[in-house]
Amino acid sequence: MIKLEHISKWVTTAGLRTFLLKDINLTINEGEFLSIMGPSGSGKSTLLNVIGMLDDANEGEYNFLGQPIHTLKEKQRSQLYKQYIGFVFQAYHLIDELTVYENIETPLLYQDTKSAERKAMVADILDRFNIVGKKDLFPSQLSGGQQQLVGIARALISSPKLILADEPTGNLNSKQGEEIMDLFRKLNEEDGVTIIQVTHSEKNAGYGNRIIHLLDGRIEQPR
Amino acid sequence: MFGNYIKIALRNLRKYKLYSIINITGLMTGLSACLLIGLYITHELSYDQFHTHKDRIVRVTMEYGRSGNINTVATTGTKVGPQLKRTFPAVETYVRTFIRSRVVKKEEKIFEENRFLYADDPFFTMFSFPLVEGDPATALDAPDKIVISQSMARKYFGQEPAINKTLTIGTADYTISGISKDVPQNSQLKFDFVTQFLNLGKDVAEENWWTANWITYLQVKDAVAIPQLEKQVEDFMNTPGVRTEARLEGSDFLRYKLEPLTRVHLYSPLAGFEPNGNIKYIYIFGVIAFLIVLIACANYTNLATAQSVGRSGEIGIRKVMGASRKQLFFQFIGESAAITTIAAILAFGLSIWLLPYFNTISGKSFTAEDLLQPKPVLIISVLAIIVSFLAGAYPAMVLSGNAVIGVMKKGFNFTGTNTKLRKSLIVLQFGISVFLIIYTLIILQQMNFMQHKKLGYDKDHVLVLPVDNKMSSNYLAIKAAIAAVPGVEGITAAYETPEFVEWGDGIRATDEKGVHDVSLNAMPVDLDFTKTLGMAMIAGRDFQENDFPLMDTSNAYANFRQPFIINETLAKKIGWTPEQAIGKTIEKNFPGPVVGVVKDFHFESLHQPVKPLVMFLDRDLARTFMVRLSGTNISAVIARVGAVWKERVPHRPFEYHFLDEDYNKLYIAEQRSSALFTISGSLAILLACLGLFGLATFTTVQRKKEIGIRRILGADISSIAMLISKNFLVLVGISILIAIPFAWYAGNEWLNAFAYRISINAGLFIGAAAAVLLIAFLTVCFQAVKAAITNPVKSLRTE
Repeated sequence: MIKLEHISKWVTTAGLRTFLLKDINLTINEGEFLSIMGPSGSGKSTLLNVIGMLDDANEGEYNFLGQPIHTLKEKQRSQLYKQYIGFVFQAYHLIDELTVYENIETPLLYQDTKSAERKAMVADILDRFNIVGKKDLFPSQLSGGQQQLVGIARALISSPKLILADEPTGNLNSKQGEEIMDLFRKLNEEDGVTIIQVTHSEKNAGYGNRIIHLLDGRIEQPR
Repeated sequence: MFGNYIKIALRNLRKYKLYSIINITGLMTGLSACLLIGLYITHELSYDQFHTHKDRIVRVTMEYGRSGNINTVATTGTKVGPQLKRTFPAVETYVRTFIRSRVVKKEEKIFEENRFLYADDPFFTMFSFPLVEGDPATALDAPDKIVISQSMARKYFGQEPAINKTLTIGTADYTISGISKDVPQNSQLKFDFVTQFLNLGKDVAEENWWTANWITYLQVKDAVAIPQLEKQVEDFMNTPGVRTEARLEGSDFLRYKLEPLTRVHLYSPLAGFEPNGNIKYIYIFGVIAFLIVLIACANYTNLATAQSVGRSGEIGIRKVMGASRKQLFFQFIGESAAITTIAAILAFGLSIWLLPYFNTISGKSFTAEDLLQPKPVLIISVLAIIVSFLAGAYPAMVLSGNAVIGVMKKGFNFTGTNTKLRKSLIVLQFGISVFLIIYTLIILQQMNFMQHKKLGYDKDHVLVLPVDNKMSSNYLAIKAAIAAVPGVEGITAAYETPEFVEWGDGIRATDEKGVHDVSLNAMPVDLDFTKTLGMAMIAGRDFQENDFPLMDTSNAYANFRQPFIINETLAKKIGWTPEQAIGKTIEKNFPGPVVGVVKDFHFESLHQPVKPLVMFLDRDLARTFMVRLSGTNISAVIARVGAVWKERVPHRPFEYHFLDEDYNKLYIAEQRSSALFTISGSLAILLACLGLFGLATFTTVQRKKEIGIRRILGADISSIAMLISKNFLVLVGISILIAIPFAWYAGNEWLNAFAYRISINAGLFIGAAAAVLLIAFLTVCFQAVKAAITNPVKSLRTE
């Protein structure tokens, strides 16, 4: 599904190159649940962003579902991730001015889904996540766990093949965190959604079926 | 999708209340200014457009040169219309007109009516003033017929039908042959009564090239042929026969120009029955409306870009959710559209509320109905759409264009070119404001100068009353009775009041150096004219009682001597010192001695330099009394004069006004524009400050942490205030420097139209600059001080 070859990314300060990612080679198959681990500043989030097409690599090739991403224009890329990728963030990143219902609905708006269909899809996912009663609340009226639930619901609404989660439980207490991780596992096992998560916690990493470690922008050999 | 944009827009409006209020107020005011000015401009442009034959009707103006002096007037002699019709087949018909005030009587109802029109018979077929009753073709075909307007019908007859009823004007009875619709505001001819031109009596009985008191309109067969006709008329006037008939000698000439009816109001330098508009002011007002909207737009752009920092998260998320750049662009345009729509709706409300004030300034009488026509609504809607794009496009473009990652990570900031844009916009706003303020101050100074200019006579506390033919039999008795009223210091009479002398004439002076022909203005006056009006004699004396015997009418005027008072300028023009002039003989129809030289006084608007003038003693030509009051307890004195009037002049209501009112009427165009400039200047600075206030608020919020740290490190409040306001003040300073030369140039252009004008001094610029800087400083300081006095611990904790 995803194939990274010799991916490097750097920033140049005062003529010096600092590598954020260095020569990353990584293949991820459909149906995997991959955890990316590593200390702060090791390039986890950068890697996730590159995979999510939010950021460009300076060097290397990236194939997503057989398409060479590094050669695509922004518009085509956005078309791709609109269709295949859902994002979950540590800080949830819900739109404060929109209700739970509207937040979940937003991706569908951008995909020009018809109104009736939208309603059905949002109702369905609200039901599945057990948050029907919260649909008219604004993000500020929810607990962190609930907000993250909404965030995941939003990521799932357009039935993506791939979910990218950047420390999805980082801002949650352990109980809420467990619930979220259980949900990920369920999605992975039952719905066959590919998941890539960045995490600090060994325990959360254990939910997945593969772990890679980053250090200073490189992948350490699997242990 | 669209619903979602609107929802977001409205919620954002609520969330950022201050910015919303600033934006909406700004745009509302701007649009409202546009609406009102637009209404004014449309009205001015619509002048005389309602006539079916508008393209084929021309006003004839007269240009004449006599003994080297050239004059142009809107009035013509009685002969022009009939003669041109006889000579040129291209002229279909003519209408000569004159408006004066008459006393109209119906049983016990007596009123003095100011809009009493005399016009030749084809009036109602040539002009499109529809008759509600009566036949346009025959309405004026007999001397005793009169057409009155609907409101006059109501005034004199109430609910009863007025047609075929009788009204008494002067001593004659007239039959109402038609009821016309009330004349629209946008007509150069405004009347309530119309009767035959020939009813003016002996003055118009004969056809005459001169004695040009009448406004002549021609209807031609073909609009295209007008320039050609004008040329033909010029050739015709040069034929020897006509020259002899018109008593033209040497280089004298008499020419007629044909002004298309629809161009008279805005393009003609010659006023007709009412002061003309001016196409120049139409342009200026249009530009002002545009500038005010521009300032409001700049406010929006500035605040939206500033505000966007807080919205970077939202934009990032939307992008990740799959929003395309186009979709985001239209979301932001949607927001500015929402704001503009609200502002536009409110603008209508505001305009309707302001309408009475606007009418006072503009001298028009618009109603709310005029505003709620499809056309203004449509125009404002289009304007609102344009404004939405103009104001929203830049923020929309920048916000939607940024890369997601930057937005998501750092929150994002407008740097580099973006602050440059914001700064340029501030400079633009304040530049416009400063320009308008200085320009306004120049106009106001000149207006003030004209109000207080020594005119050569004292215009205050002079009561002006009419004199008519019926009063001439006991003229002296009336005069004496008014003079005897306690509180009346003096009384005189003349053909015209001194602020605007229209009587054109010519004299011949003969001395050892030869013959001098001078064309000039002349004033028939009664005794005590210079004394009552407080004019100064620099040589000789005023007219006196024993001047009357000089005017010996026996033996067919064989020994008639006409005594004259001349003004300084005339003496100079002939080449006499004031002292030399006394006793010299000049000739105007009849010869007579110069008995006095009066110090120059302004008998035209200050646009014109003082010209030669001769005053001659002739109380039979008096049309107005001028009564000098002592200046204390004026209303009581007026009441006493009124009582005398009722007793002595029973046929005429007591209607009076003051000389200074007449004087002020000369500058009505200037007064209107100065009022408009004052308002728009204030509006501009208000809007600009509103925007500045918003930006300052914003900057302060952004720099809250910095301010907190500085406070902890020991900065005092004034240094914090300076820190925040410094950058803004520099920008305002730049805009002042840019605006000053423009304002200086424009002000000078405006002042050049006056023969007597102020000179622009540096103090004005310094004052305006200081005022603007102070206002800007206070605006910014308010926020800065507020931030500075907040407990720093608080602002740091929230970080």
